[in-house]
Amino acid sequence: MVQKDILDRLRDIIARTGRDVIDVKNIGEKDTIASLGIDSLSMLDFLYDVQQEFRIEFDPQELVAVKTLGELAAFVEKRIAA
Amino acid sequence: MKRVRHLLEYALLRVVLFFVDVLPLSICIGIAHTIGDFVWLFWPGRRRIAIDNIVAAGIETDGKRASRLARTVFRQFVRVVIESLKSDAYFGKHSWEKCIAWKVPPEVDALLADPKRGVILASGHLGNWEIAAQVLSHRKPVLGITRRMNNPYVDRLMLRRKPRNRFETTPKRDADLGRLMGALRDGKVLAIMIDQNAKDRGMLVDFFGRPASSHTAIALLHLVTKAPLVFGYCTEVAPMRFEFRATGPFRFAPTGDKEADVRRILEHLNRELEAAVRDCPDEYLWGHRRWRLPESATRH
Repeated sequence: MVQKDILDRLRDIIARTGRDVIDVKNIGEKDTIASLGIDSLSMLDFLYDVQQEFRIEFDPQELVAVKTLGELAAFVEKRIAA
Repeated sequence: MKRVRHLLEYALLRVVLFFVDVLPLSICIGIAHTIGDFVWLFWPGRRRIAIDNIVAAGIETDGKRASRLARTVFRQFVRVVIESLKSDAYFGKHSWEKCIAWKVPPEVDALLADPKRGVILASGHLGNWEIAAQVLSHRKPVLGITRRMNNPYVDRLMLRRKPRNRFETTPKRDADLGRLMGALRDGKVLAIMIDQNAKDRGMLVDFFGRPASSHTAIALLHLVTKAPLVFGYCTEVAPMRFEFRATGPFRFAPTGDKEADVRRILEHLNRELEAAVRDCPDEYLWGHRRWRLPESATRH
């Protein structure tokens, strides 16, 4: 799976997590996850969906260094390949 | 006006605290029961809620018996507050180990003894939840998610008075997810009360046979972090003598159906709490609006 597919699927998850609040079409890979305005509970929803969508497991603490959507896509890509 | 009321409440609390600090335990318990009776008498709305909840849960079917139980619960609640305030000094003098008996499965015992393993502890407003966190923190650092009090002066005072040891708190409203996950990674106990009304943000899950809006964060935290889930509470067996009871650890694997996964965990935890409440119904906080349905569930 290439990073572009991963990014599209991440946008779908964000759309589900953020319900109608977040306009996913305008989210670029350089946008930070923090800027999406997802609260703690929705972030848990988001992490669950990421783990299930890509069938990967990770310690959520590993995401501390991941700031942007592009970095998250790269992280997921590495995990899928591992 | 609100500020004046808050200051008056604060002043009254300071007076109570003075007496709690200087008087012996038996007299403090007597005062707690008197205050409990006073609240029972002059807060009919809350009294009604407690009685209705006890009857609806099937703990008592007879109104008079439910009323007697509710009165005991009011006394118990004030006792929880006063004993918690007194516990730091009391445990210091009498050694906390002698005041607590552990009734936990061996696997939970091993988790508590392992400094590297984080644990998610589900608990409820049963027994003395403040002392539960306090004694647990002697075995493993505890991070509790708490609700801020409406009165900021009282809130600050209670935070200062809270027994510190290795027990930290984080406010419920702006709980930082990184901090919660960091606590689990650092081998701490993350303590979460599962019987708070989650209003519109919760999932309706049966508790004593009636739907109750329940917070989903505990289930999602378990599914995402895979940290073991334990149910536990602290019951008082004699004045300032407690038994910490726990069940688990429970492990639930995610299936991809998030709603079903969360529901399965919350139903399980509610059943654990129900069983514990049936064991000591006079120690449960029946006077809170646990079953009040969110607007979205009643709007038709």
